Amino acid sequence: MRVKHLLHILQRVTLYLLLTAATVAMSFPLFWMISSSFKTIQETNSPGIVWIPRQPTLDAYISIFQNVNFLRAYFNSVFVVTLAMAGTLISIAAVAYAFSRLNWPGRNLVFFLMLSTMMIPPQALIVPQYVFFNRLGWVGTFNPIVIPGYFAGGAAMIFLLRQAMAQIPKELDEAAFIDGANHIQIWWEVILPLSKAPLATIATFLFVGQWNNLLTPLMYLQTVDLYTLPIFTATLYNINQTVQPWPTIMTAAVLTTVPLIVLFFFAQRYILDSVVISGLKG
Amino acid sequence: MPQNPYLNVLLTALLTVVFILVSSILLASLAWLLARLFRQTAREQQNAFAGYLFAAPWITGFLIFVLVPLGFSLYWSFTDYRVTASAPPQWVGLENYRQLLLADDGFRASLLNTLYLTVLGLPLQMVVALLLAVLLNQKMRGERVFRMAFYLPVILGFNTAVLLIWRLMLNTGTGIINQLWRAAYQIPGVSELLRGIIYVQEVSAAFFLGLNNRSFNLMYKVIEAGFPEVNRVPLWVQSPLWSKMSVILLMVWGCGAMMLIFIAGLNNIPKELHEAAEVDGASPAQRFWKITLPLLTPYIFYNLVVGMISTLQIFEPIFVLYRDNQPLLSSAISMVYYLWQKSFSHFEIGYGAAISWVILVIILSVTLVQFALQNRWVHYDIY
Repeated sequence: MRVKHLLHILQRVTLYLLLTAATVAMSFPLFWMISSSFKTIQETNSPGIVWIPRQPTLDAYISIFQNVNFLRAYFNSVFVVTLAMAGTLISIAAVAYAFSRLNWPGRNLVFFLMLSTMMIPPQALIVPQYVFFNRLGWVGTFNPIVIPGYFAGGAAMIFLLRQAMAQIPKELDEAAFIDGANHIQIWWEVILPLSKAPLATIATFLFVGQWNNLLTPLMYLQTVDLYTLPIFTATLYNINQTVQPWPTIMTAAVLTTVPLIVLFFFAQRYILDSVVISGLKG
Repeated sequence: MPQNPYLNVLLTALLTVVFILVSSILLASLAWLLARLFRQTAREQQNAFAGYLFAAPWITGFLIFVLVPLGFSLYWSFTDYRVTASAPPQWVGLENYRQLLLADDGFRASLLNTLYLTVLGLPLQMVVALLLAVLLNQKMRGERVFRMAFYLPVILGFNTAVLLIWRLMLNTGTGIINQLWRAAYQIPGVSELLRGIIYVQEVSAAFFLGLNNRSFNLMYKVIEAGFPEVNRVPLWVQSPLWSKMSVILLMVWGCGAMMLIFIAGLNNIPKELHEAAEVDGASPAQRFWKITLPLLTPYIFYNLVVGMISTLQIFEPIFVLYRDNQPLLSSAISMVYYLWQKSFSHFEIGYGAAISWVILVIILSVTLVQFALQNRWVHYDIY
């Protein structure tokens, strides 16, 4: 019995050691980013390992906050992401309501069509969409990044929300219906308040997707004053420079990732659970 | 439209909302009218109206942003069409496809590189995800914290800023990864392992590049150079032999999404099965291979399908790490990067459309093949 107990403890210790090692490895880039943002250029390019800068300097932060292009790019990102998310979230919520709570002719066919669009790589559509937006005179504006989402962009998100809404008891809408509520009222006042957790998950995914989006902004925002954060950050690293301004780049990285990390911290219990539950059970 | 970009997009968004509302009401009325014509009950007419009213945003979006573009791009893929020239598309038949599949070395390289990432990177990513999921499934304190730490890279994803952190860490001379690699040579016994890893990776990468260039000189050279000497380090973002490995490293780092799916699968395995096997004297390894893995196959299948679709569409890491790096780009360029290059640097819309259709067909056929093969190895029967 003693031996077995000892073996059990040994097993636990090994487990924790392994997990801690994995955690260190997975979070190391973040540590390195923060540490490097306080270094001098000499330290980031030094041949020895500088774990933590000896004399942390705020130079990179000061210079990046004086960089008009960075501030504008940050504002652009926040602006575009907020505007895009508002429309996308509401339209997805409406469509998910139609697929989960309403019974209408052609529903299954439309639902099947929607699921099959998940197989189309978005890149197959970017060329004709570019030509289309070019005709509309939208190249060089934020429109191509914001507007498509308003048409319930994102089949996977609709699916996730539909699965969650389908689990709400039917009696609720019927009771509301008898009380004289119409569909818009039921949707807004009954179903949406009950779907807060999946809505939070979707909002997080939408935010992350837009915040990290590089390809579309790269195609349509061709002047510096329209750049969003990912494009701006990409321009900081230039292969033609002999010495890369690593502290500045890492400072930009810190400021870019902070919103993501904060958001994830608050939304993680919704995400980690709802992905596990509704991700697979169709 | 106002010149100010912010006002412009605000106004456009407002007009879009009006447009969606109007088209929704029109579509819903049409559905209601049809239901009436077919003499359905008042309740059914009402349902048709409400259903199409709420689903209309997606339906109009599907028509405008998916169906019509797909049609146009199919047409353009058979034409010579450049957006810079004001000339209309010129019909050239199958010329674009012939050029692309038979004569375009750039596309061949991008296809092979993407395949390399799919064949080597994806399994590696899945193995690490499964390993982490199994470790996390041991029911212990602090599981949530570990889970968060492993999932965070997915949220950070392929953000440019995050990719640049990797670029810094992967520097050949001064990057932290290679510094640690050099330090590890001091540990007795590790040296052979590290050199072995370098050797195997360089020979296989050289073989793959050989396939690409149709000449295996590089591979012979690597083999001739023999077993790497002590203190050799990987040339992550400097050598064509390593450029794809850096991308694979990034893929493995972002394995958290797959891990979550595996955790869901592990939770669904009935406890009784493991307990019964333990009573019968099965070792943990036996239980893993005979119980856990077979029951996990539906989840492995899901991860494989989703992972393959996203690996075949990879773009950002290669763009951020190797853009403007002419000597290295050809050893790392992916299909979507090539599509982007053709369409938006060279503005060859017709040719770009052909590329996107080839990518689409590749993804669809790979997915269909996987679904066709799933009966051979995926076990659904237990559920």
